[in-house]
Amino acid sequence: MNLLIRFLREPQVAADWGAEQWNAFLPLARSAGLLGRCLSLLEQHGLLDAAPQRLVDQLQGAVNQTRYVQGQAMRELRAVAGIMAREKVPLLALKGVAYLAAGLPPSGWRNLGDIDLLVPEQDIDRAEHALLAAGWMASAEFDSYDQHYYRDWMHEIPPLVHRDRQTEVDLHHNLAPPVSRIRIDAASLWEQAETVSDAYGLTVQVLSPPDILLHNAVHLFMNDELRGGLRDVVDFRDLFEHFARVTPDFEQRLLARSRLLGCDRPLYYAVSTAHSLLWLTASPEFLAAVDAHAPAGPKKNLMAWLFEQVLAPQRLSLRRSDLSNQLLFVRSHWVRMPPTMLLRHLLHKLFKPRKPPLPTEELPG
Amino acid sequence: MDATSVPAPLAEQHLILDTGPFRVAVRSSDAAFFDTLSYFYRDCVRHDGPHFLDFDIRIRRVAGLRRLVRPQALFEIDGLRPFEPQPAENAFPSYEWGLNWCIATSAHRYLMLHAGTVALGGSGMILPGHPGSGKSTLSAALCLRGARLLSDEFGLLRPESVELLPMPRGIPLKNASIEAIQEFDSAAPLGPTYPKTRKGRVRHLRPDAQSLMQQQVPAVPRWLIFPKYRAGAVESLRPLDETDAFRQLAYNCFNYKLLGETAFRAVGQLVRQMDCYSFTFSRLDRAVEQLMALAAENPAVAGVPQ
Repeated sequence: MNLLIRFLREPQVAADWGAEQWNAFLPLARSAGLLGRCLSLLEQHGLLDAAPQRLVDQLQGAVNQTRYVQGQAMRELRAVAGIMAREKVPLLALKGVAYLAAGLPPSGWRNLGDIDLLVPEQDIDRAEHALLAAGWMASAEFDSYDQHYYRDWMHEIPPLVHRDRQTEVDLHHNLAPPVSRIRIDAASLWEQAETVSDAYGLTVQVLSPPDILLHNAVHLFMNDELRGGLRDVVDFRDLFEHFARVTPDFEQRLLARSRLLGCDRPLYYAVSTAHSLLWLTASPEFLAAVDAHAPAGPKKNLMAWLFEQVLAPQRLSLRRSDLSNQLLFVRSHWVRMPPTMLLRHLLHKLFKPRKPPLPTEELPG
Repeated sequence: MDATSVPAPLAEQHLILDTGPFRVAVRSSDAAFFDTLSYFYRDCVRHDGPHFLDFDIRIRRVAGLRRLVRPQALFEIDGLRPFEPQPAENAFPSYEWGLNWCIATSAHRYLMLHAGTVALGGSGMILPGHPGSGKSTLSAALCLRGARLLSDEFGLLRPESVELLPMPRGIPLKNASIEAIQEFDSAAPLGPTYPKTRKGRVRHLRPDAQSLMQQQVPAVPRWLIFPKYRAGAVESLRPLDETDAFRQLAYNCFNYKLLGETAFRAVGQLVRQMDCYSFTFSRLDRAVEQLMALAAENPAVAGVPQ
């Protein structure tokens, strides 16, 4: 098992590490977006002195950057919340920005790429127009096919980018695409939602604790190439263990919610992956109940193997070319689209030119 | 050797280099690139080990038939290739630029000033400025007259101690600066000419061995000079009040917004403890004389090179 995974399971293993181990560890942690989590684990386990000072400096740099990104995300959330309040559109924060608003454990270290929000489906056009009128723009990267793909098949509209601040807002009306095999009753999410406030007067809704975990599971295991990757599995483990500590009967509530929302299969994948990779702490009864929703024999093993190849690679390769990634890419589409739709979609993607690498921006040197 | 590297072609070599507070592995099978790397950094190669590496970088030749016609080099870190391939002959500038990118995007442990920095004795001079202000040329000229090179691009500071950390590298002279430096000092140690880079024609000045060997020795910031090259101007050094100096220095800090209050305090501390000037110049020898004189005038500064 790779050293990042070993460290995330059991940080004490790092007490005896030398340069070679840290060198294998750092690129894995950096590309998984887990530098901040690793710093907090080193601190919690009294290991700061065991790590090279330059490594700790790297981790601290990442945390400084994360704090800034988090501050910006919260400011952006406040701006959107103000607009939605004026429009009388109910607003619910999802994922990273929800963890921040609710002060959940990942907020100590987690970076955010965009701001994920849920609004009722009947209000999503109004919400979009209000944001467009207030300075957000449709991203130029999206062609008319992408527009159609999002608006007709997905559970979200194409991302909106603020014209000055360049922050990205993703408006969803559900947690899974309406064309997928998982159909979640959005009304039930709103019924269970909780309201949180921050110190600056922001009040926003977030999903209930079980729904937060189910969303994480659905998001991770239905996305292209497990895009959120290991970081989402770490979120799942940390959130699960946190809720289990502070909420009575949390495991039972989660099982009941998963049954009701039809998320048993994604929950199985999330729990079994978090358990086998990151040694998730859960009761044997809970694990057995979840395991009942595993796919049949060979498929179960194949999926476990694929997830491990992608989430816990022995070394970093140039990811797109990897066989296991491509299999998962196809699978992620398979689970969210009927076969004929999938065929059309993949053919379109196949003949569309690839996005070029990073533009060469103005930087020192 | 380590679990992160992609299988290496047979002839791949590697070097471990110290560059200020960072330690870098550079891997490549391009022998000409290694010759250039050794020309600039032979005095900071680590032969002991094993070392913890901040950045593990590979410069890889692009495979495929195209390599026979127009070979290209790719910059690779953590299994990622963040940039477009560059012509293979530009492997060294691509490496330098890529390493700067790695530092600029990750080293938020430090306050990063977009500035040339040199030390006169133990005291630091910060020369912030945007491209075209002449900071690289001026830093290069000061070093050719005996100042210690800290960095030509990155003024690195630990915000809690506001000491300037050296990170001496080859100074990329661009276009007309190349001739200006050759005219200033005909013996200036320059590397190969890169006629076509994304910054135009580039040639690097090699840092002197002393600067490289003292790269772990910080300097106390003493002078803050905002240079402005203006053709035909008579050199003029004008004191700058604290507020203007603060504003301009904050503006020239890569991660000022990102570090927020930490940066605000550090920049405030810097302008309070430094003598701040704006400096218009056109003649390099006069400019260097005038800045050197600043250090010589100050009796508190020991060991000013003559």
